[in-house]
Amino acid sequence: MKILTCVKYVPDAGDEVGFESDFTLGRTGPSSKLSELDEYAVEQALRLRATIDGATVTVLSVGPAEAEVALRKALQMGADEAVLVSDEAIAGSDVFGTAAVLIAAAGYLDEVGLVMCGMSSTDAGIGALPALLAEALGWPLLSNAAEVSVEAGQARIVRSDEFGTRVVEAALPAVVSVTDQSGEPRYPSFKDVLAAKKKSVTTIGLAELGVEAALVGAGAARVQVTAVVRNPERAAGRVIVDVDGSSVDDIVEFLAAATK
Amino acid sequence: MKMLLFIVAVAITVAAVALFIRGAFTLYRRISAGVPSPERLGPVGPRLGAMFAEILSHRRFTARPLVRIAHWVVMVSFVLLVPTLAIAYVQVLDPSAELPLVGGWVVWQWLLELFSVGGLIAIVTLFVVRLRHPSDPDDAASARDWRSRFFGSTRWQGYFVEAVIAAVLVCVLVMHTLRSAALARYPETAADGSWLHYPLTFWAGQLFWNSAPAVLEAGISTAAALKIIVSMVWLGVVGSAATMSVAWHRFLGVVNVYARRELDGRPALGAAAPMLVDGRPFDIRDIDDLDEDATFGIGSIDEFGWKGLLDFASCTECGRCQDLCPAWNTGKPLSPKLLTLSLRDQAAGGAHTADVFAALRSSGAQSADGATATLVPTVINPDVLWSCTTCGACTDQCPVDIEHVDHVINLRRHEVMVKSDFPEEFGSLYGNLDTKGNPWGLPPRQRVDWAKGLEFDVPVLGVDVESAAEVDYVLWVGCSGAYDEKGKKTTRAFAELLHLAGVSFAVLGEAETCCGDSARRTGNEATYQGLAVQNIETMAEFGVTKVVASCAHCLNTVGREYAQLGADYTVEHHTQVLNRLIREGRLTPVAPPEDERVSITYHDPCYLGRHNDETAAPRELLAAVNAAPVVEMEHHAKQSMCCGAGGGRMWAEESLGSRINAARMDEAVATGAATVATACPFCSIMLGDAASSRDDAPVVTDVAHLVLAGVKRGLNNPNPTAKEA
Amino acid sequence: MGNVIVLVNATSDVVDAASAELLTTGAGLGSVVAVVPGGGSDALVADIAQYGAAEVHVVSCPQLSDSLVVAKAALLVERAAETHASIVLVASGLEGNEVAALVAAKLGAGLVTDAVAVRADDGELVVDKVVWAGKYTVTAKVVAPVAVLSMKANSCVAVVAPSQPEVRQAHFDFAAPAPTARVTSIEPAATSSRPKLVEANVVVSGGRGTDGDFAPVEALADALGGAVGASRAAVDAGFAPQPLQVGQTGKTVSPDLYVALGISGAIQHIAGMRTARQILAINSDPEAPIHRLADLSVVGDLKVIVPAVVARLG
Repeated sequence: MKILTCVKYVPDAGDEVGFESDFTLGRTGPSSKLSELDEYAVEQALRLRATIDGATVTVLSVGPAEAEVALRKALQMGADEAVLVSDEAIAGSDVFGTAAVLIAAAGYLDEVGLVMCGMSSTDAGIGALPALLAEALGWPLLSNAAEVSVEAGQARIVRSDEFGTRVVEAALPAVVSVTDQSGEPRYPSFKDVLAAKKKSVTTIGLAELGVEAALVGAGAARVQVTAVVRNPERAAGRVIVDVDGSSVDDIVEFLAAATK
Repeated sequence: MKMLLFIVAVAITVAAVALFIRGAFTLYRRISAGVPSPERLGPVGPRLGAMFAEILSHRRFTARPLVRIAHWVVMVSFVLLVPTLAIAYVQVLDPSAELPLVGGWVVWQWLLELFSVGGLIAIVTLFVVRLRHPSDPDDAASARDWRSRFFGSTRWQGYFVEAVIAAVLVCVLVMHTLRSAALARYPETAADGSWLHYPLTFWAGQLFWNSAPAVLEAGISTAAALKIIVSMVWLGVVGSAATMSVAWHRFLGVVNVYARRELDGRPALGAAAPMLVDGRPFDIRDIDDLDEDATFGIGSIDEFGWKGLLDFASCTECGRCQDLCPAWNTGKPLSPKLLTLSLRDQAAGGAHTADVFAALRSSGAQSADGATATLVPTVINPDVLWSCTTCGACTDQCPVDIEHVDHVINLRRHEVMVKSDFPEEFGSLYGNLDTKGNPWGLPPRQRVDWAKGLEFDVPVLGVDVESAAEVDYVLWVGCSGAYDEKGKKTTRAFAELLHLAGVSFAVLGEAETCCGDSARRTGNEATYQGLAVQNIETMAEFGVTKVVASCAHCLNTVGREYAQLGADYTVEHHTQVLNRLIREGRLTPVAPPEDERVSITYHDPCYLGRHNDETAAPRELLAAVNAAPVVEMEHHAKQSMCCGAGGGRMWAEESLGSRINAARMDEAVATGAATVATACPFCSIMLGDAASSRDDAPVVTDVAHLVLAGVKRGLNNPNPTAKEA
Repeated sequence: MGNVIVLVNATSDVVDAASAELLTTGAGLGSVVAVVPGGGSDALVADIAQYGAAEVHVVSCPQLSDSLVVAKAALLVERAAETHASIVLVASGLEGNEVAALVAAKLGAGLVTDAVAVRADDGELVVDKVVWAGKYTVTAKVVAPVAVLSMKANSCVAVVAPSQPEVRQAHFDFAAPAPTARVTSIEPAATSSRPKLVEANVVVSGGRGTDGDFAPVEALADALGGAVGASRAAVDAGFAPQPLQVGQTGKTVSPDLYVALGISGAIQHIAGMRTARQILAINSDPEAPIHRLADLSVVGDLKVIVPAVVARLG
């Protein structure tokens, strides 16, 4: 059984990455990498692999050629194989387009018994993909797990959200997404880094997947970005030196505005 | 009766020598099983020179002058008395026998007498020292005795060894006394038995002038036999206990000193030992040539080099290392001595003496009694391994040149590079270093922010200047100096001073990355070398040769460790450069008026003082600035106490025991000084944190700030009378 | 722009703040159909009428509590189809975003999660979203016939506009088209406790400057409905437990408002909260680095100032 782990190549939050003229985010910055939230998915996939007989971990990404960096990191962490779907036509896809590609890739790969995702990407931060994958695959959705386990073909998660803490179970195959509470991703040992050098990343295009180009890309997006505005930089604001409690009015006013 | 004594002596000798040879052979087999380290065998000449110089001078006994003298006397008496043991066999049968050649020689007899009496006084002194540091691990099941450096040393072995020495010396003195009496009482031999030949025992000998010759002879025979028996009991006991390193150090310690890491007499500090892979230093640039089964660091006892195994077998259990260890003294389970003993016993199969085991248990470092394949976590508790700040106090103190810090780093390398098992906080540290080149994960473009607002330009290599040849120094800013608020202020102060002194300098700007110290000392050699190689390439591009750094860790890493990767720079610490600028008259600090002067104490950064031998320059600077010598803390200079940030501990939580920085601040407060000056950003941060949590704390500041204030005083109000310095 | 479906949180007898904002937003876009999934009390329905809804659909659904998000999404899809809604609004959150995604997938709709503003512009629906750690605001228009949006809390001020909505009771039986996950145990969120640190919109943190007394920190957090955090120094000193630590070795938070009380602002700490939208710092040390990035810096004694502020906030 393959544990298919979907990961994204994103710019680092500290990089000065801007938007392209078509308002897509420039994904390739000096320290672009595997999305931190997806590292949790890789980590949980690796931990599950150890508990399931015959399980292997395949990492899958949709992105530019540079996204191999993200897949390499996952391989260093211990994933068995990596697949990158890269195609000019995909650029500018919305979440539905990306989902369509991932679903096709899941079908293209044999023996996928479990799809793992992070809770959200660190750049776009939509948090919708796992639900869309489950819906399209017709598999149960076990999302935003703080804990995940698989036993005898049954997946079980613990999820905490705005409605409380729930235990959710489903039979495999299923789609599981994990939160950053699920367990710290491992730092690959140097032995693992060396071992990963021997693994290869398979790159495929839309043609191999049989996805029509018209279904993906900016043209197919149901939402079009019309403007991107850079918000003002964080800088020192007002400074009040308070020796007699005189700042209370200003603080109350500030709090009211900030929590509005 | 003489014959009976002789037979007993010979019989016991045969048995003891057999046991001893067996023990020696066991040790030889055990130690030679280590990874070959041919570089530790030669060059023979310089090594022998270094060995004799160190042993004869006892120069690694850097503290405790009384113990130093006493041990030296005992050591010399042991060597001198070996030949007298040989003649003792003859003396059992013929009490009048003398050593051939030197036997009746006045010089030899004076030496013997002096060192026998001196040795006896010395061994009693050492015995008393041991008694005055009582330690009973059995009582320490819940509370351990912090103050005793002998806590965890095997008590009976220490007492036994000392008692044997005392007994042998007493036998020697008895023999001399009786012999002088036997000679002095008859006119024809009186001259040979006079105080000229027996300068110290002659006087006691007078008491026996009336004893019958046979009685005297019997006494000498018996004493000689006793001397042999006691010596041989020692030999036999030692031979049957190859882990009795307090005794074996007499032989192994000598070899260990011969095989020491540094031939110039320095302890094994400064640069960490290279990580060996298949006997060759690891180099990340040759990553493609690495063998698939290559292993990194040390994960099992048989992966140590033979010098490491010799280290463990040579430990005298004196506990000097434990006495100064900042981790041990703040209640953490790490004691360098117990770590050494754990490894010694592991090499011997795993069993500990009761005292060692009780100490390991009560300090929370409990290791399973019995051999296991891997060292961590069974033999070495991870809390022990990760508590080390690599401050080097242990290695600096060790009289037999045990290389504790290198061993800790090698054990950590295995944990990180093979097992990926380390304190959780290091995960984000490594990630930040790998992707951003600094421990905080901040953008490289912020590296030059510290210079904003200065009244002069700080040129960046490759942007404002093409080559390092155009400036006097390349200023290595360091991550703390570039990102930390306190560190940035220190960098500014130092840059202002260079500017005022007319010294030109440039920085690497965004191209500088972390030097890699924290990665290396937590065992992540791959991340360290990745950073180091990047910096070395950058500096090669600009032809950098002269560097000044305000961080003691950068000083050590760039200055000493990059050389292991082929770099060659002269790296100085900012206190050294400032001190020279003042001596050359290019900076003229003026002390505050006497009524505004406050007392200053100085905290030695470990990587400046112990690791890089610089304890004088900052003190001279402070004396010049304040027109008064610094007031010293209890632990200072080479015996200084760590702030708690070294060895990557800067980035980890300190959840075990009490806080090291708080303990150090206690010492600073005790001096009554109003200011604690230091010369390393890590120390500034740690001590600053400790100061912020108490009301009576002195101000913590970098030496550079005090120098700048002094220089500015001079510029604003030149007052020659205040220029006492 | 036609009918706007608003998903109302049915777990209490009053409209919660997030739902009230959605109703107000929806009323500005069209005719609001408030959907109360799983059945709601009369009090809740009456309260919904305070925010200008045209219709209230109280929909019972026996499968709601057993299934994770999919039943709720299907329920909304059915309501949207029946009312020919062109917009569906839900509150942001782990569940809200997933419900929105599933509804959008089924309706072929455009999807924007975590929107902060929405307006009709020349017949098109235009949505703002803040991305990239607060650095950019992206504006997008929905080009599909239907839009499904999840709205961030605090993105508008709920306006009371009483109406006489038509109240409909309906029943929805969720028949799963494919295997679905089962909820096997539920522990409702404790309503009395503070929000979770990483999710909270307001975080009030204390540092060494509290001298070990976290009472002012907690009082201000409660007054603002926020979570309590702590600096590494405070955790090290034993003032607060480690799970509350904000910073590089603790939690990374990105709230709308971050209040730093007695925190100097070491890089360690800043790494964990630098993406907060607004920062208030109170620290007695004028040199504390935190003052360099706070939107409002108060140099003073937090033990005097904070209780006064709490008293004013009531």
